[in-house]
Amino acid sequence: MRLLVVEDEEKLAQLVKRALAAERFSVDVAHDGRTGLQLATDYDYDLIILDLLLPALDGTELLRRVRRSRPSVPVLILTARDAVADKVTHFEAGADDYLTKPFAMAELLVRVKSLLRRTTGTRENVLRVADLELDRLTQQVRRAGRRIDLTAKEYGLLEYLMANSDRVLSRSMILDHVWDQGFQGATNIVDVYVRHLRDKISDMEQKLIRTVRGVGYVISDEDPA
Amino acid sequence: MKTRSIRFRLTAWYAGLLGAILVLFGIFIYFTLDRFLEAGLRDTLAKEAQTIGETLLHDVVQNGDDYVVDEIEEHFAPRIMGRFVRVTRPDGTVLYQSGAPHSGQFDPVAVTVQQPEAFPSWREEHLPTGGELLVYGVPYVERTGTKYLIEAGAPHEQVERVLHGLVLSLGIALPVIVAIAIGGGYVFMRNALKPLDEVATTAERITSRNLNERVPISPTGDELEKLSVSLNRMMARLEESFHHINRFSADASHEIRTPLAIIRGELEDAFQSPHVSPELKQTIGSALEETERLSRIVEQLLEMSRLEAGETLFERSRFDFAELTKATVDQLRPLAEDKKLKLSVDVGKPVEIEADPIRVKQIVVNLVDNAIKYTSAGGSISVSALPVGRMAILEVADTGIGIPEEALSQIFDRFYRVDKGRSRQLGGTGLGLAIVKSICAAYGGTVTVKSAEGQGAVFRVELPLASS
Repeated sequence: MRLLVVEDEEKLAQLVKRALAAERFSVDVAHDGRTGLQLATDYDYDLIILDLLLPALDGTELLRRVRRSRPSVPVLILTARDAVADKVTHFEAGADDYLTKPFAMAELLVRVKSLLRRTTGTRENVLRVADLELDRLTQQVRRAGRRIDLTAKEYGLLEYLMANSDRVLSRSMILDHVWDQGFQGATNIVDVYVRHLRDKISDMEQKLIRTVRGVGYVISDEDPA
Repeated sequence: MKTRSIRFRLTAWYAGLLGAILVLFGIFIYFTLDRFLEAGLRDTLAKEAQTIGETLLHDVVQNGDDYVVDEIEEHFAPRIMGRFVRVTRPDGTVLYQSGAPHSGQFDPVAVTVQQPEAFPSWREEHLPTGGELLVYGVPYVERTGTKYLIEAGAPHEQVERVLHGLVLSLGIALPVIVAIAIGGGYVFMRNALKPLDEVATTAERITSRNLNERVPISPTGDELEKLSVSLNRMMARLEESFHHINRFSADASHEIRTPLAIIRGELEDAFQSPHVSPELKQTIGSALEETERLSRIVEQLLEMSRLEAGETLFERSRFDFAELTKATVDQLRPLAEDKKLKLSVDVGKPVEIEADPIRVKQIVVNLVDNAIKYTSAGGSISVSALPVGRMAILEVADTGIGIPEEALSQIFDRFYRVDKGRSRQLGGTGLGLAIVKSICAAYGGTVTVKSAEGQGAVFRVELPLASS
């Protein structure tokens, strides 16, 4: 799949490009609005990641013009401006998602994938990590065939971890996705739930959920290097 | 009536001044009139005596004594006029003496008999009825050389009666005039100062959230208009600098975000790299942790500048504060259980408020999370959300380490930490309570704390109930 990144900060653009490339996307980068618009109208991208404060042509205007020729390409806004009024304006102008700087790269990848899934319509119903299995339709969780009862929050947490397996998720990302808004003050609640979850999925024998110091949590069947 | 109001004081001053001036004026009139009347009386008496001498006594030898007596009675009618007239011969016998006046003010017979002297003289006879009789005596030498003494007198009381009348009418008129002045002055001042009241009401209403309001200007061209205009200019300047500060912190936050995103991305990238040693990985992890905290601080500062700029005015909905509190506390319960704390929540009937539920939830999360952090195992935390009067009251009470007295006043300040090491270890940004305060203020509420070191703390949030 081919993605376009329009971001005037070269370093940030390179970081995003590298992270996306690692996920096997092919990525084009534009450093100003005019080049961005040129590329976006010339090629049929699967997704556009767009900064708002751009030289030559600002992101809002670029978005409006792109929408005229390509009404259905998913657009993810990446910006330092996050006032509610800004968000509303851009959703109205046709943005599909909105991510505020500074962001965790993992968060960007999660959102990109979810946007692509939405447009391509693929979603796995059963998630697997080693012998741990989560069925999204029946909301059942099994480990080595044995059924495990989870509370709604624990289920939500496990689903989010498993849907992004092998990717380190920060506490604030987890809070944003699994808890409702207004919880940013209490990141340690994530630690408590992870501990509960580990107990329930008998994570002591074969560790699936790992703590990555300073970053967050990851679920993976690989042993840490 | 407010005795300290300008209206009252000015009216009192004016009334006092007016009263004093009127009293002085009255005294001045009294003495002037006294002198004037006295002079007039003396003048009349002197003329009377002279007229008697020159027109009647002049020819007394030709006309005879009876003629003189008749003429005096006819011309001067002393009994009716209340006057005393006497003409004495050189040998001391009386040629004429006026009868007792109708008014009965004096007895003419009792007036001492005088010997004619060379010069006119004034004297005052004490009357047995009280008061004095003013008597003018003038010697008159008629043609044949006989020297008569002509006396003309009138009781002083005539002057005094007029003066009495004056005092009486002044005594009645003065309080009436002052009363009218007070009443009129008060009404006049009230009307004149009414715009001041309006200015005060508006000024009272203005906070950092509605700095765009202005006081009303009544185009009267007077000092009040000048004051209103000056006040408005001051508020415009305040508004401008306030916006300036807010714009600055918003801009600063934005400018910090992009480099922060790059730092974070680079660190994450390095963290994933297979070539990195475990020791370096730990260092990178620690740097990432700090980056995340820095991001949170920037987020919260921006959030506060938005709250202070009044952005919240547009995000209001009606909801049950009690229900939100209960749900939030239940969500935080695992944290308390993890620390072996008893967490109870007391909510009863619905408590409807009008605010942004996400931000109000933040209040509950921050306060309860703090209580959990600063209470050691075995302690308890109780949360209640109840309506009291026209306010919704949220109380979060813990049995934790408490807050030393000297810290109480600063605990809601940005970046203030009671125990610097401990708070940072717990991952705080130093902004949690400052945000609680900003949110409360944004919705017209307050937050207060009661605590003593080692004796727990009670945080109390008051938010106005939604008007029904």
